[in-house]
Amino acid sequence: MKKRGISIRYKILLLLTSLPLITLSVYLVLALQIFEEDKIAYVFDSSSNMSGTMAAQIKTQLNGVLGTTKPIFQEYLGQQKFSSVAESIFRNESDLEAVVVFSPNATGSLEKVALLEKVEGQTQGVLDSLQIPMAAYFSEVEKGRRIAKTPFNDDRVFILEKVTDETKTRTTVFLVIVRMSEAAEMFRSGVSQKIYLIGQDGSVLFGPDAMSGKRLQTLVAPAFLSGSAAQVAQGAETSKAVNGTELLVAYSRAGFGDLIVVTTVEKDKALGAVQILIRKSLIFFGILISLTVILSLFASSGITQALTQLFKATQKVAEGDFNIRVDVTSNDEVGSLADNFNIMAAEVSRLLEQTAEKARMESELQTAKTVQETLFPETRAKIGPLSIAGFYEPASECGGDWWHYCQIGNKIFLWIGDATGHGAPAALITSAAKSASTIIERLNISPAKALELLNRSIYDVSKGRIMMTFFLGSFDLETGEFVYCNASHEAPFLIKKTETTLKKKDLVPLNEVNNPRLGQARDSSYQQTSVQLDEGDSVFFYTDGIPDIQNPGKEAWGEREFIKALISAHKDQPEVGDSVDRFVLSFQGHRQGAPLIDDVTFFVVKREAVQ
Amino acid sequence: MGKLDVKMEKTPEKLVVRMAGTIDEDVDFSQFSLTGNPAIDVELSGLKSINSCGIREWIKWMGTASGAQISFSNCPKVIVDQINMVDGFLPASGKVNSFYVPYYNDEAGSEKNVLFRYGTEFTDSSVTPPESVKDEEGNDMEMDVIESKYFKFIKK
Repeated sequence: MKKRGISIRYKILLLLTSLPLITLSVYLVLALQIFEEDKIAYVFDSSSNMSGTMAAQIKTQLNGVLGTTKPIFQEYLGQQKFSSVAESIFRNESDLEAVVVFSPNATGSLEKVALLEKVEGQTQGVLDSLQIPMAAYFSEVEKGRRIAKTPFNDDRVFILEKVTDETKTRTTVFLVIVRMSEAAEMFRSGVSQKIYLIGQDGSVLFGPDAMSGKRLQTLVAPAFLSGSAAQVAQGAETSKAVNGTELLVAYSRAGFGDLIVVTTVEKDKALGAVQILIRKSLIFFGILISLTVILSLFASSGITQALTQLFKATQKVAEGDFNIRVDVTSNDEVGSLADNFNIMAAEVSRLLEQTAEKARMESELQTAKTVQETLFPETRAKIGPLSIAGFYEPASECGGDWWHYCQIGNKIFLWIGDATGHGAPAALITSAAKSASTIIERLNISPAKALELLNRSIYDVSKGRIMMTFFLGSFDLETGEFVYCNASHEAPFLIKKTETTLKKKDLVPLNEVNNPRLGQARDSSYQQTSVQLDEGDSVFFYTDGIPDIQNPGKEAWGEREFIKALISAHKDQPEVGDSVDRFVLSFQGHRQGAPLIDDVTFFVVKREAVQ
Repeated sequence: MGKLDVKMEKTPEKLVVRMAGTIDEDVDFSQFSLTGNPAIDVELSGLKSINSCGIREWIKWMGTASGAQISFSNCPKVIVDQINMVDGFLPASGKVNSFYVPYYNDEAGSEKNVLFRYGTEFTDSSVTPPESVKDEEGNDMEMDVIESKYFKFIKK
């Protein structure tokens, strides 16, 4: 038997669990991917909005400062000194701490030429402390028109505005020191996202604590600070921080000097909802898969329980037990399969019993055939002057024909009979006939009396249901008289010795007397007659199966061919054995191996010349 | 349709039975009653064969005719053979009105069944066959039976 693999139950279980698992996993991956992309886009969008808003706001505030100080600038440029109006304006702006004017000296270097300040003497100290940065600031302002710096990492903003007169021969740089506490607070207050106000070089003007004065590159180096993106007004990108954290960075140029507002959000925090979604999805998956496994176990048990029953039943059948039945009550295909299995097993069981019964009957028939063969005499014999040769072939295992010869005193009795039908029932009657004949032979009675006794015997056995045609003759060894009695049997042919060619008219049917068939009525009386057999005369005894012999085309041999073969077999007065062989050859030539439809029996006796 | 086809026409004077087919062990004559008829004409030209079991059933069936005069017409060879061979096949009150005698010409391979009629070709004790029987091509045909056997029932 082939080795058994994985149980179908586990296959169903695997299928029912793996299918939702794979489907949901693919769905989760795709959903999370889309969700993440959407979330990032959302964060980028909101950050860009935030940076843009902040950029607009800081631009407005700085421009507001310049708008306030512009009359001061104009007063100074008109009079080359601060007028009382300029001072008044300055004093009214509380956030303004100082306005310092720088003009080129004889060497071209910028030097302080005028000053407005709220606290006397304070500004000079500041400027003194910023000698080196100021040189850089002047260099920067020379390149552009204005810059904004926070050199002290506090909320004071140093705005440097370069003003050139109409002839462009004189350049004046105004330094406005203004305190922008609210703006600084806005940049410090970012929680989930951090907001920076930086210059193009990355230096942070305002930002979260501890970042003012530092460069943004110490935290993250976004691409927009270098390369082609340096000129893009607004954008967003994903950058990796120095500490390895992925950041979502959005920026907007303020449109005031090179100021840029930058917002950063840690990607993990921005996508925190995704992580929550993953965790909840995994929990949901776990519950779903558990339910699927439990339901699959129940479902597969229902299916495989019936299949397991069927499997065990087929194993029993394979071992030869066809009485096994399966008890499956479901109405589905498995139930139908089980019903069909039960029907099949019952049918096989019935057929096996039939086969066994048939084998038994065939065995019995073979035994009966063997027994029946003992009822027949030797096919070749010579008793006194009488030579005998015969042939017998039943249509099935057992036949209803019977022939026999025996010597009683100085007479040879010749028996031939044919029971109704053929096969086992007819064979039983021949057996009864043989048994009766064994007794009758000892009585030394005439053929007519013998058939009367045989008739009673057959009738008592068959009760009129099976009859037998019969011909019984006795040949007197001394006189050659042949006394015969016919019980509706085919009349044998007397073939007289002739010196001329044997013809049909030379065949003499021994039909001078006829009587009822044996077994037709219990008290039938039988008549007999006699004929003289001379030396060289033969008698051909036969049953009616001979003309009925068919060829493979179901064509009967017929009486005409039968008579022709009979004449041909005896045309030159042969020995009885030769005539029988010739006759057999004739009908076998027609038969060509086809099965017989009736038993075939015949024998020939010939009175030979006394030596 | 069974192997034997039996048609019966009953008049006050007689019962006419026409039979065609095969008489064997499967035949059931009980559905064809012969009782209560003064005379029965049995027409047998369509009968093809009869076996030993059929003979048994035939004799039983004829025994139910209750002494009616039974005449058999157009008897084929299979019936004539049984009449000759089986004692009682022809009921005691039975009479053959006509029967077929097969003729043949071996060289031409021709065959013919010639109807012998009571009073013309045969009587109660003798047979007078036609002087000559010829086939369609004019060839002389000879009787395809052994006369002493085939006409035995006439000379009883």
